[in-house]
Amino acid sequence: MGKSEPYNLTRGAKIRIGLLILALIFPFFPFVSDYLLHIVILIFMYMILALGLNIVPGFNGLLDLGYVGFYGIGAYTSGLLTYHFGLSYWVIIPLAFMNGAIWGILLGAPTLRLTGDYFAIVTFGFSELVVLFLTNEIWLTRGPLGLPGIDVVSIDLTLFGGPKWEFVGELPYYYLAIVMVLVTVFVMYRIQDSRLGRAWFAIRDDEVAAVSCGINLLAYKVIAFAISAAFGAVGGSFFARWVTFLSPDMFKFWESFLILCMIVLGGMGNIWGVMIGAVILVSLSEILRELLPLLGLPADVRFLAFGLIMVLMMRFRPAGMLPIAAVAAQMRAGRTKRKKTKPAVGIKK
Amino acid sequence: MTPILEIKKLYKSFGGLEALKDISINIDRDEIIGLIGPNGAGKTTLFNCVAGIEKPTGGQIIFSGEGSTISIGGKKPEAVTALGIARTFQNIRLFDNLTVIDNVKIGRHCRTKSLFFGAVVRNKFQQAEEKAITESAHQFLKFVGLKGRGQEIARSMAYGDQRRLEIARALATEPRLLMLDEPAAGMNPQESRDLMDLIRRIRDSGITVLLIEHDMKVVMGVCERVVVINHGEWLAEGLPQDVQNNPKVIEAYLGTGAANAA
Repeated sequence: MGKSEPYNLTRGAKIRIGLLILALIFPFFPFVSDYLLHIVILIFMYMILALGLNIVPGFNGLLDLGYVGFYGIGAYTSGLLTYHFGLSYWVIIPLAFMNGAIWGILLGAPTLRLTGDYFAIVTFGFSELVVLFLTNEIWLTRGPLGLPGIDVVSIDLTLFGGPKWEFVGELPYYYLAIVMVLVTVFVMYRIQDSRLGRAWFAIRDDEVAAVSCGINLLAYKVIAFAISAAFGAVGGSFFARWVTFLSPDMFKFWESFLILCMIVLGGMGNIWGVMIGAVILVSLSEILRELLPLLGLPADVRFLAFGLIMVLMMRFRPAGMLPIAAVAAQMRAGRTKRKKTKPAVGIKK
Repeated sequence: MTPILEIKKLYKSFGGLEALKDISINIDRDEIIGLIGPNGAGKTTLFNCVAGIEKPTGGQIIFSGEGSTISIGGKKPEAVTALGIARTFQNIRLFDNLTVIDNVKIGRHCRTKSLFFGAVVRNKFQQAEEKAITESAHQFLKFVGLKGRGQEIARSMAYGDQRRLEIARALATEPRLLMLDEPAAGMNPQESRDLMDLIRRIRDSGITVLLIEHDMKVVMGVCERVVVINHGEWLAEGLPQDVQNNPKVIEAYLGTGAANAA
């Protein structure tokens, strides 16, 4: 294989390039409507969010139920900075990234000493706090009235005597979203294959052994949480400038759950799996939204379908569609422990 | 010359249970010292206190690594590792789902620096560091006799090889003092002999070795000095042969009456 090829590309690389080309020409297919394009942009945005969240449960093995809090912080950071100061989107992205990271550190530093479920409960509480803040601090966020009329993204070259090009319609956002996904995936791959990534994987596999290799658990968990939060905020900043309207009820708990579902469905810790999870759940959500009213059911019944998918996944494929060894092993260990046939890995005490 | 590790009047209790009572041990530089005692004597608790995993209730642990002398009682385990004390575990604790080479690379953690920025940008410093990590990881694998097996998954290795890998990972932290918790457990005679050879080579490279072991062939074969503890108390200390013939030690292992019979 590959001998007649001018370049020696592996099968994986060919698939990647093929998919990228398909994504780039996708808007020009005759059957693609504005609505469909909107859905695909939504998929890309959720890919960024899911890849960001994946750092915490996927790379570090910690359950995070409050990811939407950082998404909301990023969205309002972007919205308010545009609303009050008219900042350019290109300035806002790094600001949103940093603001997400700051809140990640503020929440993570005192709470990441907690283990397992206790930490998950804290994150859940945090995301509820964010929604309450956005709803009640009317002086800042206009509360339930929402934040309408946020400027669209634009490329402004008037300073250099160039033109100002505003992003109108879905098409420019489509390409902007592709670039953002590519950058996120690039960063994730680089981290995965670095000293930082190895430290996280060590924590995921065995905390005591990690500590005895000189890894400061709390510090590395806080770093993970901050980077994860930063990507959530970047996703939110895109969302704000894309839909140009924000309201607190866009950041309810079920969004966290949906993003977590994407990760679990696709395969925790697997970059490709997480992206596939985003594709499946966003498209399924839209299909059900159309389909359910035809059957005489309210559209919100689709959340029941997500719940059912999760139950079935846990029963038949607990480590996800594209599982990685570490998560699969943890799931197996959990199962044998429940059945009490043999003890899980020989941990003392 | 100052001993590399001085344990002075160490106490550790879990609730009402006194796991360690008034233990004092000096460990000299570049020696191979054995720590033995019946099950439940407190050997592993002593290891955990030195490694920072358990906090001693009383007493002092003083480590003299590179020039400086530092009290490590109650220090965090990652700080203890950074000072130059590495350990292995009684029931092997590898990063089961990672490759062999990654296990050793993680051992290099406390001697390297790159973080998020380096990982994403891959600047010159990060590239050089990553190259050095990979090279030294391969050297440590070669040292313990696992050359060329870097891409295997740790969990899939044979038991004896996992023990070796754990030692390689500990060596990768560049310790001055290496603590091995029952390294020969579950090994066949050939593997034990290889292990003894490995322990001697570790010492010859300038690392002091503290060894908990039940396999008396290994203890007698490799240790230069042996400390015996029983019920958390210091019982005897000396050359392996002397300790082996000490009536108190025989009594601790086999019960009263056995000493007279011997």
